[in-house]
Amino acid sequence: MFDWFDSDVLLQQLLLGLSNGMIIALIALGYTMVYGIIELINFAHGDLFMLGSFLALTLVGAAMNCGLVDPALMGESSHWWLLGTLVVVCGIFCGGLNLCIDHFAYKPLRRASKLSQLVAAIGVSFIIVNLGLFWGGLPMEVLGGGGAAAAPKDFPHLVSDVNLLGEESFVVMTWNDVVIFVVTIPLMIGLTLFVKFTKLGMAMRATAQHATAARLMGVDVNKVIAATFAIGGFLGGAASVLYANYNSTVSFQMGFRAGMDAFTAAVLGGIGSLPGAMLGGLLIGLVRAMSDQYVGSEWTNVVVFSLLVLILIFRPTGLLGLKQREKV
Amino acid sequence: MQRHSTLLTTAITACTLAGAACGVQAQTSAPLLPSSVKIVSSLPRTGSANAQTTAMVNGIRMALTEAGGKVNGVEVLYEDWDDASPQRGNWDPAIEAANADKGIADAMVVAYIGTYNSGAAKVSMPKLNAAGLAMVSPGNTYPGLTKPGTGEANEPMVYRPSGAINYFRVVPTDDVQGFVAAEFAKTLNATKVFILHDRELYGKGIADVFNKSAKALGMEVVEFDGLDTKAANYKAIATKVKQSKAEVVFYGGTTQTNAAQLAKDLLAQKVDVKLIVPDGCFEEAFIKAAGTNALEGRCYITFGGVEPKLLGGQGKVFYENYKRLYGMEPEAYATYGYEAAKVVLAAMERAAQAGSLSRSAVLKEIAATKGFSGALGTWSFDENGDTTNKVMSVNTVKNGDFETVKVIGN
Amino acid sequence: MGTTSRATYKPAGLLSRGQCLLFGALLLIPCIELLFDLGISAPTRFVLGFAIVGIGLNVVVGFTGLLHLGIAAFMAIGAYAFAILTCTIYPFQLGFWPGLFAALCIGALAGAFLGAPTLRLRGDYLAIVTLGFGEIVQDLLKNLEPITKGTQGINPLPAPWFFGLTFASDTPKSWYFLYLAILILCTILVRNLEHSRVGRQWFAVREDELAARCMAIRPDKVKLTALAVGAGLAALGGALLASLISSTGEPGNYDFQISILALCIVIVGGIGSMTGVIVGALVMVGMNSILLPILGQKLQQAGIGTTTSVYLAPDNYKYLLFGLALVLMMRFRPKGIVAAREEDH
Repeated sequence: MFDWFDSDVLLQQLLLGLSNGMIIALIALGYTMVYGIIELINFAHGDLFMLGSFLALTLVGAAMNCGLVDPALMGESSHWWLLGTLVVVCGIFCGGLNLCIDHFAYKPLRRASKLSQLVAAIGVSFIIVNLGLFWGGLPMEVLGGGGAAAAPKDFPHLVSDVNLLGEESFVVMTWNDVVIFVVTIPLMIGLTLFVKFTKLGMAMRATAQHATAARLMGVDVNKVIAATFAIGGFLGGAASVLYANYNSTVSFQMGFRAGMDAFTAAVLGGIGSLPGAMLGGLLIGLVRAMSDQYVGSEWTNVVVFSLLVLILIFRPTGLLGLKQREKV
Repeated sequence: MQRHSTLLTTAITACTLAGAACGVQAQTSAPLLPSSVKIVSSLPRTGSANAQTTAMVNGIRMALTEAGGKVNGVEVLYEDWDDASPQRGNWDPAIEAANADKGIADAMVVAYIGTYNSGAAKVSMPKLNAAGLAMVSPGNTYPGLTKPGTGEANEPMVYRPSGAINYFRVVPTDDVQGFVAAEFAKTLNATKVFILHDRELYGKGIADVFNKSAKALGMEVVEFDGLDTKAANYKAIATKVKQSKAEVVFYGGTTQTNAAQLAKDLLAQKVDVKLIVPDGCFEEAFIKAAGTNALEGRCYITFGGVEPKLLGGQGKVFYENYKRLYGMEPEAYATYGYEAAKVVLAAMERAAQAGSLSRSAVLKEIAATKGFSGALGTWSFDENGDTTNKVMSVNTVKNGDFETVKVIGN
Repeated sequence: MGTTSRATYKPAGLLSRGQCLLFGALLLIPCIELLFDLGISAPTRFVLGFAIVGIGLNVVVGFTGLLHLGIAAFMAIGAYAFAILTCTIYPFQLGFWPGLFAALCIGALAGAFLGAPTLRLRGDYLAIVTLGFGEIVQDLLKNLEPITKGTQGINPLPAPWFFGLTFASDTPKSWYFLYLAILILCTILVRNLEHSRVGRQWFAVREDELAARCMAIRPDKVKLTALAVGAGLAALGGALLASLISSTGEPGNYDFQISILALCIVIVGGIGSMTGVIVGALVMVGMNSILLPILGQKLQQAGIGTTTSVYLAPDNYKYLLFGLALVLMMRFRPKGIVAAREEDH
């Protein structure tokens, strides 16, 4: 029944794995950056990402209402300018929000134990989920008129659904896949360059290595932390638009799984390491797709987490993580 | 400290014995009618099932308002209890158990409307049964709760420690629905079916029935797999469906367990296949979540009953009133909430006229419901507590709304 | 964490003063209810079950400093082991007490077995692996249908019996006393461990693994003991909670959210302090199963929240309230409600 060596199927699953993995990687960057600087697993990051997609949906609805886009043409023609605007606007929104969250929830706990920060992050995550529920209840047509606040919402395709490989082809690749690569890869390159070559990036690396030492060298650590939250949030916001467009769904509970996948990716790659998060995200996306095809989707989570355990047993600090030297 | 603790231990042992011995005070029913009684509903109000349960609660409130909030002059209070918790985002066994305990402990409560999830019913049924409190479910469709031989070997007697029946439901069960879905797949000329489920009690149960029925009807089941209901998308699964060349995909799941996402991904991966889903998707929110493109001409939804707007007789009155009262179309679930409350109130009315509103009197009257004429037509409770109403419909989506394709057993 | 522990050798006593006060108060609840029916002793039984899980998790997170995000897996293992060994649809049918004891042992074994490969991992790498185990166990329970009944859950489960009396489901107070007694026993047990050589080794590993190794302590062995004790108690709690609802529930009931709840119990209550953990269970679980339902009921009786608007239904604020409570509690009591004192160690 299922031909194991069907190259079309393999190709398709590879493509799906990469597309999904890219989005996971983008979210994972937010986790890994924050962790690298203040050693906090920012549980609220996935839910922040969810709010970003709600903003995107609302803006699309507003654009439709204002006649900027024709609802009938959604999925037929591509609205590149709208997509670009959304990526930027939602990115800024999530970045700003992340900054505020840090300021009000985490900053006062900087000197407290890591675990109390973790619980604060869990608390923030619950608050955001509730805000998402309320957002879904707004009386807007794209939100289902607010009748069923808790239900998932349909997100219109902002780019064309036409199969770029031809209508006859088994493998489906649309602009939706392309968009992910077009947005994600420059963002990742930009981030890497930023961290490597700008002054703020250097300050970030210094703080990540040793906060006190960085402070003594004249680095404004608080500013660096704030910038980290803002950048991580921006990437999450950008990912939220890509996610919503790719899956065409927005739901107030979607942050949980996205966050868990991204966190797993960050750890798998070596938490604190930017290329590690990217590699981890791609790996998880690919493993999920392959497992769905060749093992059975009910075993996919088992496969992903078994692989994670195995990798960590042999490389205890992740794929690209630095070996921690024990401090005495 | 040491002495303290020894004392404490002694005290605990003593109290344990005392607690075991004292038990619960017997609920004696007064010969006279009380001034007020209470019905409660226990439905998941926090989290993803909120949309359906809101519709149900609306239906219950409407039934109560129509009765003027009274049966035979006795005031009827209603409380809407949540059996979900924010941590779970779904029904929580601890809360459902606590609700059942609370209902039993509150002497004013004479009927318990719930639950929505069959898994939750498994928790509260034996408790309420032991207490002799009537339970009417507007949403459980897992057959094993009532029908011998459809579930585990010890079902349904395991839910009836007292031996008597206290659980009733106004919805037809999945063994009927799964078969109807398989028959419908056959009429779509399907030779190969691809079965998926959400790995929850309801979804897996109905997928099992569909699996068995499809094989019996001569269709080939190419795959039977469970989905990860929190996954971002099912494009990989859609690809597998495409490779299998199945003509029909059956998904045992609900809107909350991501049925809409599956429909969308089957379209996005350009799979030429018909999707059949059960009544957990028969709600406005499913269309809103999936978008009409993914459903029109591609998706069929089975449902135990018919769409509210197609209801005749009292159902039509209900439909009009609901629209007027709440300013929106009633969900299919609203009808069940309404019907459950209606049948409880009618039984209470009869019990009150016979002179007692005790739990046992109300339970007896609910069990005796025969030829009840409500929004879902005229029906009775059978010897298992199931509705005799076996009307099933197959629906599709057209112009952004449900359209009934076929009504069976009317 | 972060506090330096001094090894104290004065005899510890069975329970600390705070614990005596707390258990005394817990004993009072059903006694008061004999006079005024508050209806809280029944839901408080769940608090007691979760408190046992919390005490177990506290051994791992609080005493040994290992961040564990998959404790729900061991609750599931306990509940399912108890169910398979006692339920009438399986051939074993050991009865309540042997089943409970077996659940505890199986849980502890599973804890040690799953812990063994993770001993090299530090900090948050361990956290993600435990999270992974949580997911794997849940999926195994769902998928291994011939053994676990898959999504069905296993029921009925036996009620406890004591001196020939079997507890009926409508006598919550007798369950309450029994569960409280088990909780007190667990507290005494863990408190003894805490003050023994084993406990001091836990603290040593938490404070500085390298230094501990220099003191001829084998961190691997110490961590394994902690993981086994923690998992065993979590399994015990899981089995008790399952017996309470007479069903294991669906495997999905033991998901990551429950692990998070258990972690919040430990941290909000006061990490490293057993009194704190029990208070944490009261606050966290009590908020869900006692406070919020009563609040909702009162609001409804006052006629609030009977509209259809999503913004006016009190239930729709539960996430917000729960989240705010966590954030504010950490803001004002970052060490938890009952901060562990140094001499407590």
